[in-house]
Amino acid sequence: MSKQLKGAIVNSKSGVQNTIIDLLLKSIEKGVFNAVLISMKTPAKDSFVYVLAEDKSLIKDGFILPPTMFVQGAKAVSSITRLGKGNLKIAVIMRPCEVRAIIELAKLGQTNLENITLISIDCPGVLPSSDFLDNPDKSIKAFNEAVKNWDDSIMRPVCKICDKSSMISGDLHVGTLGAKKDTIFIISNSEKGNEFADKLGINLKDNIDTWLSQVKKLSEEKRNKRKKLHEEIKSKIGGINNLVETFSQCINCHNCMRVCPVCICRLCYFDSDNVKFPADDYLFRAKDKGSMRFLPDTMLFQMGRMMHMSISCVSCGACEDACSMSIPVAQIFSMIADETQGLFDYVSGRSLDEPIPIVDYRKEELSEVED
Amino acid sequence: MTKTLKLNKSTDEGVIDLLRFLLDNKKIGGVFSLKKIEKDKTVAYCLITDSDELKDAVPFFPLMPVNAGNLLSRFTLKSVPKKPIVAVVKPCEMRGFVELIKREQGSLENIFIISFTCGGVFPTKTQVDKTLYKNIEKYWDSAKKGEIFSDLRPTCKACDEFVPYNADITVDIVGKNDFDKKCLMFLNTKLSEDLTKDFKGELSTGDLDSKKIEKIKLDRLNEKKKLYDEIGEKLNGIDGLIDIFGKCISCHGCSKVCPICYCTLCEFESPDSEYKPSNFESELQKRGGIRVPPGTVYFHLGRLTHISISCVACGACDDVCPVDIPVALIFKKIGESLQKRFDYVSGKNIDEKIPLITFNKEEFTEIEE
Repeated sequence: MSKQLKGAIVNSKSGVQNTIIDLLLKSIEKGVFNAVLISMKTPAKDSFVYVLAEDKSLIKDGFILPPTMFVQGAKAVSSITRLGKGNLKIAVIMRPCEVRAIIELAKLGQTNLENITLISIDCPGVLPSSDFLDNPDKSIKAFNEAVKNWDDSIMRPVCKICDKSSMISGDLHVGTLGAKKDTIFIISNSEKGNEFADKLGINLKDNIDTWLSQVKKLSEEKRNKRKKLHEEIKSKIGGINNLVETFSQCINCHNCMRVCPVCICRLCYFDSDNVKFPADDYLFRAKDKGSMRFLPDTMLFQMGRMMHMSISCVSCGACEDACSMSIPVAQIFSMIADETQGLFDYVSGRSLDEPIPIVDYRKEELSEVED
Repeated sequence: MTKTLKLNKSTDEGVIDLLRFLLDNKKIGGVFSLKKIEKDKTVAYCLITDSDELKDAVPFFPLMPVNAGNLLSRFTLKSVPKKPIVAVVKPCEMRGFVELIKREQGSLENIFIISFTCGGVFPTKTQVDKTLYKNIEKYWDSAKKGEIFSDLRPTCKACDEFVPYNADITVDIVGKNDFDKKCLMFLNTKLSEDLTKDFKGELSTGDLDSKKIEKIKLDRLNEKKKLYDEIGEKLNGIDGLIDIFGKCISCHGCSKVCPICYCTLCEFESPDSEYKPSNFESELQKRGGIRVPPGTVYFHLGRLTHISISCVACGACDDVCPVDIPVALIFKKIGESLQKRFDYVSGKNIDEKIPLITFNKEEFTEIEE
């Protein structure tokens, strides 16, 4: 966040949720947007899903900060714009890690952001889906309570160690940290953001220092927690034996890959014909130790996925939520991602202007591993 | 009457002894069975080539981490083994394998099947939270009595196809009150007689106790009716479907673990199922809003259309669903009623073609009008 952010303090007496919904409705009236992509409850009220809505009464049912993330928002944005920008101007309101994944997808050619305005919001984390499903009503109440106190104890494990929960990489951001009572910060990060503010009469000239300092403080706290947990994970899974044991429960359902916002391949290499072998090849492999786990290649899948996507991993935790065998995939991947991204001084989804290191070949890099 | 092989030891021991005999005498090239791995922390399917490794084999462990039909398909898809291997699998896993063979996704050549009368399996996650290990003794107690154990997969509790089809050897387990002391195997095929020829045991003839089997079947049918009634009430028109499948997160784990869903690339993950921006725009005009990504209920209806004729109700889909949709029960109910219409039982007869590929000029005339 090197560039100078511009922000405004906006009255939010009606609550953050209502204030933002009102702004979105107004922007539709004024033709700034034609539709909004926002989270909503399912008819059975047991889940939250993304809905592209044009109808104003529908938008009123939207949640700007749903308690869970059943589907990573980047998947929704990619679904709408992968095949082209379309004719609709769409406002998207999502969590910072979702917006970051959208940025990664844009770099990977999986979404077209020309007609999309990305709005993020200070994020206290999300509840694990299974906790939510156990008792949706109770969970919503618990989540609302936790938001008030910015308490992350009931959130996804990777949310507890998220040091980018206020990162702005989209066009606009809703800041609630460091805000005085009944106010929020509206912060712009792009021309699109400025235009939105302009059309809605929001003057981006207020001082946002209290937000900045609060975010800085919180991020530092989280960063320390993150380092500590990563050290613990490292000692637990380090070495081939521990690694094998960690993933020994994996049943190759590939849920983690399917829900991952940055695993974009239509047909995963590890689902392809390339990993299927003649029967006697498997027997030959089994003979090496007298016995071989069959499912073969579960470890290869996990390591392969790590190689393919850790540079773009946004640590959203969707994989861990979807793992039917409760493997702490997201925590492990967040540790690996910090390492691989750190190597290239890259932060996934930080900015559209930073190329993904894998496509950014430099003659003079990583010379230390050459010998 | 079928030829039988009786051993004066527990069923586990007896079968493992047989497997050891076959491996040591080089009659087979390997064993495919559930086995304890990772310092006994996990039970998984393994390919065993060294008879020493059989000490950790748990062929009848009540768990199905993956439907073995899937695994045997993977094993035989490219080519069959030169030497026979023995696979110990559950009846529904064998049925899944047979359905895959009918779809040219595997072969029984040089695959020798041992199956057993099955008491059902625990949900896979109980291995992770360890409740399985707490309940395992109680499980075997009720298996002896042929009773339904409460904490099993719902489809197992409602399973009336627990006697295997197409097995070379059937092992008597559920309802056999002395299976921890005596082992009884039915040698169903000539091949099984040949393979067990020099193996020490008491040869005789006999059949599964039909009274016992009928009693267990009756209990399971009662349980099935109860579960079908419950889910039937919810499966009510499009609104009911939306209520049930609305929380689906489209991970498609159910299709990935399904022994019948074999497509390398699912139709619903293909470009054919992608919406163009114009599709979204017209939906918005029509309805004012659309769920994104779209096609949640459509996927399940599509999968039902594609696979329910072959569904073996193993319950693997249920286990893997991260949002607890009772997929397996729904698919079992619909699969069964569809199979009934064609007088077809999935995985029963390997020579019987799948109804979808046997066009019959004179069928379903009643729906023509």
